[in-house]
Amino acid sequence: MRTRKICFLVIVLAAVIAASYAPAADEKVVVFNPRGIQPDIRKIPMAMRPATLDGKTVYMVDTKYAMTKPFVNELLAALKAKYPGTTWVLREKTGMYMDDDPKLWAEIKEKGAAAIVLLGH
Amino acid sequence: MITMRFQELVTTISYKKGIPNMRITYTPHPITDRPAELCRQYVAGNDPITRQPMLEEIYASLTRPPSEEDRKAGFLKRDPRPRLLPPDTPDKLMEYFHAQGFTDGSPVILPTEQKVKEMLKATSRKPDEWVGQMRPSPPHEAWYYTVEMVAVNAVMAGAKPEYFPTILAIASKGLTSMFSSTSSFARMVVVNGPVVKEIGMNTGIGAMGPVSRANSSIGRCWTLISKNLGGSGKPGETYLGSQGNPLNYGNLCFPETEDGLPPGWNPLHVQKGFNKNDSVVSLFSGWSINDIAWYSPLPIYDVIRGWLEHFFSYGTTQATLILDPIVAADVATKYPSKEAFAKYLADNTGTPGWLYWSQNTAALKQAQSGVEPYATWLKQGQGAVVPVSRYNRGGGGVSRNPSFMAPRSTDEPANSINIVVTGGGTNTFWSGGDFGYAGSGSVDQWR
Repeated sequence: MRTRKICFLVIVLAAVIAASYAPAADEKVVVFNPRGIQPDIRKIPMAMRPATLDGKTVYMVDTKYAMTKPFVNELLAALKAKYPGTTWVLREKTGMYMDDDPKLWAEIKEKGAAAIVLLGH
Repeated sequence: MITMRFQELVTTISYKKGIPNMRITYTPHPITDRPAELCRQYVAGNDPITRQPMLEEIYASLTRPPSEEDRKAGFLKRDPRPRLLPPDTPDKLMEYFHAQGFTDGSPVILPTEQKVKEMLKATSRKPDEWVGQMRPSPPHEAWYYTVEMVAVNAVMAGAKPEYFPTILAIASKGLTSMFSSTSSFARMVVVNGPVVKEIGMNTGIGAMGPVSRANSSIGRCWTLISKNLGGSGKPGETYLGSQGNPLNYGNLCFPETEDGLPPGWNPLHVQKGFNKNDSVVSLFSGWSINDIAWYSPLPIYDVIRGWLEHFFSYGTTQATLILDPIVAADVATKYPSKEAFAKYLADNTGTPGWLYWSQNTAALKQAQSGVEPYATWLKQGQGAVVPVSRYNRGGGGVSRNPSFMAPRSTDEPANSINIVVTGGGTNTFWSGGDFGYAGSGSVDQWR
């Protein structure tokens, strides 16, 4: 009877210890990676460049960030003065800076040799 | 071309867009509001990053042939994403989580297999089911995530399993809580319906404060989801808020006190088209809130109107009022519904002259040409109030919309003022802020 009681107490004690068991500070655990799935990146081949801009049209696309017009105008004036053989065309992109402007991109593809997109902040 | 402060942003975005060697010329920073003479000096000088003359560098970028590698198509390398991380001690894993930017800067609960398994029991959805996609802001790539991935972040935030359907409903909206803008956005989530009581959200004293595990951990989880599943939160790359926003830690996350609504005032989710017995999360986007108790001989609805008229957050065109139930009761003596009160506010708030004229250049030109009523308004001076509301849609308000690029409702009400009731009724406090409604989602669908 006494042996049975001791066995019972040992079992209860073992259960209590098991229930309160927590990994030791030096015990290794396995955890999940909390990151989501990034999409594949499809590489876009860069376009060939013209050897010279003489006789060519280059678009300057202003994304219209607030109060940056003085810089845009100064850059346009400086490019015109330094490279007079090139036609520099300043255009404002539609909408805010994150809005797409497919019509403008189509026009640049048709009429331009290159484009500079600027500026922000 | 871009200002030098955004070098990291533009190089990483170029890579993610598939053009790793995009040719970029940098200008000094900032370039906004600089006089023409200084801009002329900048243009005549060097790119501050490459130290090359700016004009010559632009010309060379437009004419130098691309390398053979840059002419190739294909896919760019990405880091692998193992489902489980290599085993390590809890302390080292916590440090690893901090170092990788997995946390919000405070310790998290490590997402062990057992804890994630328990979390997943709280939904009928399968662990590998897609929940949605999220991105830091529109120019950035979207990341994708499953139910299991959301569960991992729910564990990290300290959420109980019973909160999980509410968290899934937030995640399913795909709206980051850490929108990457230099202006440091904040987000808000309001919970309505039976789920509020079921999971023990605090609708009473301190509803918006850190006194409830449900309110706190659900809000915190939105930020962890935004960082880990939506790719937000890396300063300079996927987070640009100049000063940051303390609301981003746990967001504004609270339930509406539906028991405290005056008779005739519908809960927010009913206003948004759900049934009263539906459990719903409603998301908002803005920057800040004021917490106000202005004792005045004026009735409280007029105090709120006056605040709204002169409330300024760079010309915001949306506002959300969070009223304590006793404030709502006072307002309800005059206005029988939230909609009636919002209409009164929208119809009777003008715009301070200095704000109106700075944001409405077309009207200013007409005023200067003598066109009425603009000319009379202009004569009254910058300090006068122009009788044009910023909050009636299509009413000639100014341009900034805090929920831009968030999903927008197709049946928007006539004005952009939302009203929510929460709190414990210990004082006549109310909060107001520039938050705009960004959409609602069903919790029940994720049970």
